[in-house]
Amino acid sequence: MTPRSPELIRQRLDFWQALSGACLALFVCIHLLLEGSVVLSPSLTDGIGWLLEATYAAQLGAPCILLLIIFHFWIAARKMPFRAGELEIFVDHARALKDPDTWLWLVQVATAIIILAGAFFHVYTVMTDLPIEVAKSSQRLHQGWLFFHIFFLPSVIAHTGIGIYRIAVKYGFCVKARRDVWRRRLWIGMGCYLLLGVLALSRVWCQG
Amino acid sequence: MGRTLTFEIFRYTPLDPSSTPHMQTFTLEEHPSMTLFIALNMIRETQDASLQFDFCCRAGICGSCGMVINGRPGLACHTQTADLPDHITLHPLPVFKLLGDLSVDTGTWFRNVGKKIESWIHTNQAFDPNAQEERMDNELATKIFELDRCIECGCCVAACGTARMREDFLGATAINRLARFYIDPRDKRTPADFYDVIGDDRGVFGCMGLLACDSVCPKKLPLHDQLGIMRRMVSLESVRGIVPEFIRKKLQGCGCGHKA
Repeated sequence: MTPRSPELIRQRLDFWQALSGACLALFVCIHLLLEGSVVLSPSLTDGIGWLLEATYAAQLGAPCILLLIIFHFWIAARKMPFRAGELEIFVDHARALKDPDTWLWLVQVATAIIILAGAFFHVYTVMTDLPIEVAKSSQRLHQGWLFFHIFFLPSVIAHTGIGIYRIAVKYGFCVKARRDVWRRRLWIGMGCYLLLGVLALSRVWCQG
Repeated sequence: MGRTLTFEIFRYTPLDPSSTPHMQTFTLEEHPSMTLFIALNMIRETQDASLQFDFCCRAGICGSCGMVINGRPGLACHTQTADLPDHITLHPLPVFKLLGDLSVDTGTWFRNVGKKIESWIHTNQAFDPNAQEERMDNELATKIFELDRCIECGCCVAACGTARMREDFLGATAINRLARFYIDPRDKRTPADFYDVIGDDRGVFGCMGLLACDSVCPKKLPLHDQLGIMRRMVSLESVRGIVPEFIRKKLQGCGCGHKA
């Protein structure tokens, strides 16, 4: 056996990419559920906001999440087609092949860039305008942030759903025989989250 | 009377200085049970004897007639024209060296990856020609056979977005091949030896999980399942001492008979 130099750090990168992605996916699912509480009652959402601020979970958590997003993007970006000609080769390949999973990866790349930029603006706007209240959110939506959320919300949901599926596939948890079931469940899950997000946005809009 | 099929075929012979890459159109009457292999032979026999493509077994065993059929890699002998539209576009498999028209050299590519992953039994045991062959239980032999069913047609490599972008990527077929030695008790390599061969961006971590290798494999091999299992095992090995041992063991269990 020819001796080879160990590449532990590079091997670990993939693990950290998956782990940071899984943590962010969990955060998004919880965050959207808490945001969605506005559909039931705006006072409930205000109460949750108050609790998160009183315990400093919001003040400490928000920068941590931003750092985690940057960390996740930094690791995952090593696979992105940045080098000259790579994107062109990949898009031509995806077009010819017409394989949904190949396209899903391009969706991941595009939504990752939208989220990286959008998350910064989202966190900055909310955290520099404490306390977190539905009335303030509504005001922001009427000031033009609605358009931001129209792009940001589907991007986050798509990236999270596809990301969960791809982690499961890449690590051999979602095997070929079960792939259709995984896909169906994830599409349903993403649809439910999108519906909740749209209902929440509509409710907040109507508060204004 | 069958349909009239239009074939648009890539023509180019790199060794011929007068040759330029272009698409050439042929038409042919469709016959019942016609495969692309039959159609290409008819075109060569009746319309253009210079058309180059590879074939050997006509039964999806030799893997010679791999080509890109309407954008998707597949075997010409396995593809019925009845399953295709009237207009059929044929290209040679990308990634591999083009010999001429639809003929590519997959052999050199597979030999190179075979050398990289050291695709042979590693043992220090002296060979005794008079001794009986060691017994192997049926279940294990079947598992090894399953991993050995690859016909090296190159369709999975041609369908792989990573292989298209990065020349040094080993491809799912090589990982599948290595897994065959991984479970073979005659191969005395340790798990660390195997992880060393595939544990970087040329190996399991180069794969972006696009799954096209699985979709186009003419032998229906679950190539990506194997790659996923190997990726998980290498990843978890890399975080030994960082992630608690009970979590690592729990995630590592793959139920595939691999060495733990």
